Amino acid sequence: MDFSLTPEQQEWQTAAIEFAKTSLADDMIARDHKGEFSRDLWQKCADFGVQGLPVPEKYGGNGADVSTAIAVMEGLGYGCKDAGLLFSINAHLWTNSVPILLYGTEEQKQKYLPGLCNGALIGANGASEPESGSDVFAMKTKAVKKGDRYILNGTKMFVTNAQVSDLIVAYATLDEKMGVLGICGFIIEKGFPGVSISKKIDKMGLRTSPMAEIVFENCEVPAANLLGREGRGAEVFNCSMEWERSCILASCLGTMRRQIDKCVEYARMRKQFGKPIGKFQSVANRIVDMKVRLETARPLVYKIGWLKDHGKSAVAEAAMAKLYLSESFVKSSLDAIQVYGGYGYMTECELERDLRDAVGSQLYSGTSEIQRNIIASMMGL
Amino acid sequence: MSDVKEYLRDYILQEFLPGESRENLTDDLPLRTSGILNSIKLLQLIGHLEEKYGIAFDAHEAGNVANFDTIEGMASLVSSKKG
Repeated sequence: MDFSLTPEQQEWQTAAIEFAKTSLADDMIARDHKGEFSRDLWQKCADFGVQGLPVPEKYGGNGADVSTAIAVMEGLGYGCKDAGLLFSINAHLWTNSVPILLYGTEEQKQKYLPGLCNGALIGANGASEPESGSDVFAMKTKAVKKGDRYILNGTKMFVTNAQVSDLIVAYATLDEKMGVLGICGFIIEKGFPGVSISKKIDKMGLRTSPMAEIVFENCEVPAANLLGREGRGAEVFNCSMEWERSCILASCLGTMRRQIDKCVEYARMRKQFGKPIGKFQSVANRIVDMKVRLETARPLVYKIGWLKDHGKSAVAEAAMAKLYLSESFVKSSLDAIQVYGGYGYMTECELERDLRDAVGSQLYSGTSEIQRNIIASMMGL
Repeated sequence: MSDVKEYLRDYILQEFLPGESRENLTDDLPLRTSGILNSIKLLQLIGHLEEKYGIAFDAHEAGNVANFDTIEGMASLVSSKKG
């Protein structure tokens, strides 16, 4: 296994950092405060090729391998301070575009993937419900087949991109008694009869990424929009979660790297008691711990890229990477604030936002507790 | 049907219950309702059986808990699908 970037991947990553610094740098503090999603930045990312990364060229994408996609997301995380935008793109990619790519019919792929790649369509994922979060397959949203369509009824919670989405990959059960094997995946256009977006959900962090509830009330979905086989939606969902856990935190690697650079620069420049604060071991050690976390988290993520690029499963590896990286990200964000002292606590310093954004990483795509359950299960426990 | 049962026993022991005694994995041991087969493992098992025997379970066959709770139930369904 060689996890070093190839010249082409390095080129992609360097370009992503440069693109993010120059094109995605707007008034982040104000937009974070207002919780404002930027469609303009979304389109810029699509024009750069981000939304098409894992999609083959024949469907309008770039056909990049997984390791390249991870390298680009790491670069964006380093250069772009809008973690909410990157979170929205990640949700779009791994829980909407990729399931359609892997489980969709040829017709579905041709119909939806080009728009998902070029920025015209925004994807969302509806799985969690008011009473089924971690226990996602206990969902209550019901799908009843009637002729050439399914009728869906139910509510989906915590849907990233809901208000701005055009296409929702959502899951419903044929019959709760069938358990995991009653779940079906669907591709739902926002304009289908019976789809409505309920209240906006405000969040602690990732505030520029929109989130709301989606309600299906006698929603009519053509049978042609079933995603995967009837009753095998859990397979589609598990696959999308594996992809999301594998790749969603790659951008956080970049953010952790940016935090380290920022802290090193500050610790060299800021003087107290007649010398740079970096010369005090208590300060330097914090930055060292941040560096160790980054360097130990990074191979976990790139190993997943290697596994997936070689056609191997990465269920346990994705859970381990998600668990370790998210918890490292929170710790390092706290350390970065501590290095900056009182300045770090101020909004203007832009570190407190990283911390608020980081906390979410321990919750979305399965909490840390669920990641541990998955790892234990894969260990035969 | 007995060859399917023995194949299932081997596969479940190897993939999901390493180190478990073969005698303990009886034909009527509940696997799904007891939680031994969680959602990931159940989907893996069903996909594997479809591939190995060249059959396809429809949603209501696979979703019927009785069909996939025990080795007995699974072997019976697989045998009937094989024809």
